[in-house]
Amino acid sequence: MIIESSNQVPRATLLKRFPIPRNFGVTPESRIVRGKAWPAPAAAVRVNDPDSRENPRLDTFEVDLDECGPMVLDALFWIKNKVDSTLTFRRSCREGICGSCSMNIDGTNWLACTRFISDLANPATIYPLANMQIIKDLVPDLTHLFAQYAAIEPWLKSKTREPPTERPQSSVERSKIDGYYECILCFCCTSGCPSHWWNGDRFLGPAVLLQAWRWLADSRDEGTGERLDNLEDPFRLYRCHTILNCTRTCPKGLNPGKAIAEIKKMLIERRS
Amino acid sequence: MSNSPAKRPRPLSPNVQIYRPQLTSVLSILNRVTGIFLSVYAVVLVIWLVAAATGPRAYAAVEVAITSWIGQIVLFGVTFAFFLHFCGGIRHLVWDTVHGFELRSIYISGWAVVAASVALTAAVWVVRLSMAE
Repeated sequence: MIIESSNQVPRATLLKRFPIPRNFGVTPESRIVRGKAWPAPAAAVRVNDPDSRENPRLDTFEVDLDECGPMVLDALFWIKNKVDSTLTFRRSCREGICGSCSMNIDGTNWLACTRFISDLANPATIYPLANMQIIKDLVPDLTHLFAQYAAIEPWLKSKTREPPTERPQSSVERSKIDGYYECILCFCCTSGCPSHWWNGDRFLGPAVLLQAWRWLADSRDEGTGERLDNLEDPFRLYRCHTILNCTRTCPKGLNPGKAIAEIKKMLIERRS
Repeated sequence: MSNSPAKRPRPLSPNVQIYRPQLTSVLSILNRVTGIFLSVYAVVLVIWLVAAATGPRAYAAVEVAITSWIGQIVLFGVTFAFFLHFCGGIRHLVWDTVHGFELRSIYISGWAVVAASVALTAAVWVVRLSMAE
């Protein structure tokens, strides 16, 4: 009941989804229809969304767990190799560091390569990252998320001249960015933020705001004032209502909620 | 707009329809819902006060509604909503000081809010029922 770190799989089975109609508030082209049940060798269910005129469908696959590796990504590869080769998903490192395979597994966003199949329900449900435009199957279009990331100017800003060697930073100052520089930009948090669901066009979202804090907290950066001016906006920052789905779902165990609170605190402190 | 693949809008993946309700999101939406509920109840409260100020006949009319069993159930709901919103509000105030953001603290404070609301509602209603007649 008390969750200590984000890699603890949600156990409570009282509510798997909010008690609203399955296609509540969904545009006609996004409505999910019943899909195919692929012949056995089955355990995973996922959304298939081909480049055709059809609506996305939820196909059912049975996976032989004896032949398959332990992670959800292994199951996806098994399905692609043995059952349906058109199944499309992003992947790269298979060790939870590149952030490519982020998707919604059993209702929460996580990386497919670090989620054990044994932790899933049977049948498990796999959807693409929530509230994203889908290119195909489990591949979301991350263009606007990366555009929001570029908007916070994630680079070192300096007015003083570049020092001849390195920019010195004490270990205490360096520790201020611990817990923020490790973000792999998988966007599990942003995709799980209800505020971003409703205001995603203008609200920057937890991933981008975490990185904004990473640059605000970095002692070597000299553009703090400009960065804060940029963020002081009812939509870009202040759509955050501390829902904290982001911290709960981060596959790297980072804390975007805390970063955003720190930004808000810095904005208040500079007023006084 | 023609229905060719190039021009068709991309489908949106489901969000609230499939995302798992967790303590974080559930308590947050409950805070908002109880807030709305309490704002609506504020109108009822004003009606009650105005009736009390108007005179005994007006007040008697309102009293019938309040003391009916539906009125009592609504009042019970209102006390629970009040305490849930109140304890949730304190949790938000603590968060404003950037404390209690570790996942463990978030969950402990979350369950504490639920427990406190239940306990306070029970306490108020035990006192109220023992004072009846």
